[in-house]
Amino acid sequence: MKTSLFERIGGFAKVRLIISDFYDRILDSEMLRSYFENIDIRRMIDHQTKFVSALMGGPVSYSNEQLGRAHHHLGITPDEYAEMGEIFRETLEDHDIPLVEVDRLHAHILALQEHVIGGAPAETK
Amino acid sequence: MTTRTKETGARAATAPADKGGEKVQGKTPPLPPVLDSLNTAVALADPDNWEIEFENARFTEWFPRGEEGARELSARIPGMDPGRAMDRVEKGRSYRFETEVRVGPRTITLQLEIRPFQGESGKVVLLEGQNISKQKEAEYMLDSYSRLTERQNRELEKEKERGERLLLNIMPRAVYEELKDSGTTTPHTFEDVSVLMLDFAGFTDMAISRDPGALIAELNDVFTSFDRIVEHFNCERIKTIGDAYMAVAGMPEADPEHAIHLAKVALRMRRFLEKRNHTGAHQWRCRIGLATGPVIGSIVGIQKFVYDIFGPTVNIASRLETLAEPGQILMTTNMAERIQDDFVLRPLGENHLKGFGAVDVVSLEDEAREGR
Repeated sequence: MKTSLFERIGGFAKVRLIISDFYDRILDSEMLRSYFENIDIRRMIDHQTKFVSALMGGPVSYSNEQLGRAHHHLGITPDEYAEMGEIFRETLEDHDIPLVEVDRLHAHILALQEHVIGGAPAETK
Repeated sequence: MTTRTKETGARAATAPADKGGEKVQGKTPPLPPVLDSLNTAVALADPDNWEIEFENARFTEWFPRGEEGARELSARIPGMDPGRAMDRVEKGRSYRFETEVRVGPRTITLQLEIRPFQGESGKVVLLEGQNISKQKEAEYMLDSYSRLTERQNRELEKEKERGERLLLNIMPRAVYEELKDSGTTTPHTFEDVSVLMLDFAGFTDMAISRDPGALIAELNDVFTSFDRIVEHFNCERIKTIGDAYMAVAGMPEADPEHAIHLAKVALRMRRFLEKRNHTGAHQWRCRIGLATGPVIGSIVGIQKFVYDIFGPTVNIASRLETLAEPGQILMTTNMAERIQDDFVLRPLGENHLKGFGAVDVVSLEDEAREGR
């Protein structure tokens, strides 16, 4: 059976550290922290655990529609989205994830942009 | 990754050195400035009025002084139960609790301990606080992740059951258990069973002359109903090949009445088709052969395995099925002898069966009515 990136990099033990660090870095970001200041940390951690696990082929998956529903109302700008992607990228690099995987995950994040911040679906506009 | 954590730690430790470390007037002696560089919050309070007499920089950062400048410990610390704290301290014991505070953009979780402390100049209330946010984060993450894996396990379990159901369609449960436990199965001889072979007269012509898709759907429908009849009498469907249907009674669990049960199955199948033919698009006419005797049951194949039965009993049932006219049910005499009290039978005399020579054949007409 083909193993997922999630398993290859060391499973939850490793992903846990990446999520924790990623969360820290976002709160350090002037541009992004306002989105996370008043959020319940349990929910935040829950979402990030699921999302990062999903991204790496862990035991969960998100549909594009789900991502849209969770983010559309926040009014995230493309610049902010790019910043988030960059922070994610740096976090992965600093956790010694193989560069080719980092690139792939970053590209995946960028590809999701239209679903995450793309505004309301076309037909309801 | 540890570098990051260290950075954060180092930066945090030096940042607010100028804010706290304040000696408020009171009984406590001056405390060394090293307390201000701690990552732990430390405060001392007067055990009589619980007013803070000393707080280090970390304490000030986590529990900032309010506008009103309240001095009581409980006024500064959210989530502290003053009654319980006093009660414990009076008993000379400690009071531990967790609380959350906001520091900049972060909500951090603190673990606090309040206990009495005997200093050189008298008893004081000592508070220590540690940042356990990372630990909490890990706990939340673990919660989240274990929920994910638990759900995944449930789905895998369902998937497994689906697979099991599929396998049980093609082999008896006992054989499936053996395959699961040991990875292989051994052929078993079943000394006393009955075998049913059925196929449809003119099926090939039916398929060609009509919409084949619809015909297969009907065949599926018919076989599904057969499966129910077979199950109802505790018999087993062995397999279907094209329009042929094969069932067995008396295995894998022995059944002393296997011949009677399988004869009933055969009659029910025929009756089901007669009823169906009144309304259905196709006329289904079956030929059935029945035989009693020993068979060998075994899994055949490795990747694409099927459970199958072998032996002369199977062959003779098959020959009788071929011999039968549409709508007829034929059986061997040894089977007929076992069921003659319960069924209406008609001997047809000797017939030549390929591979068996001259064989006495009996036709199964109906079930015997009560009182006859």
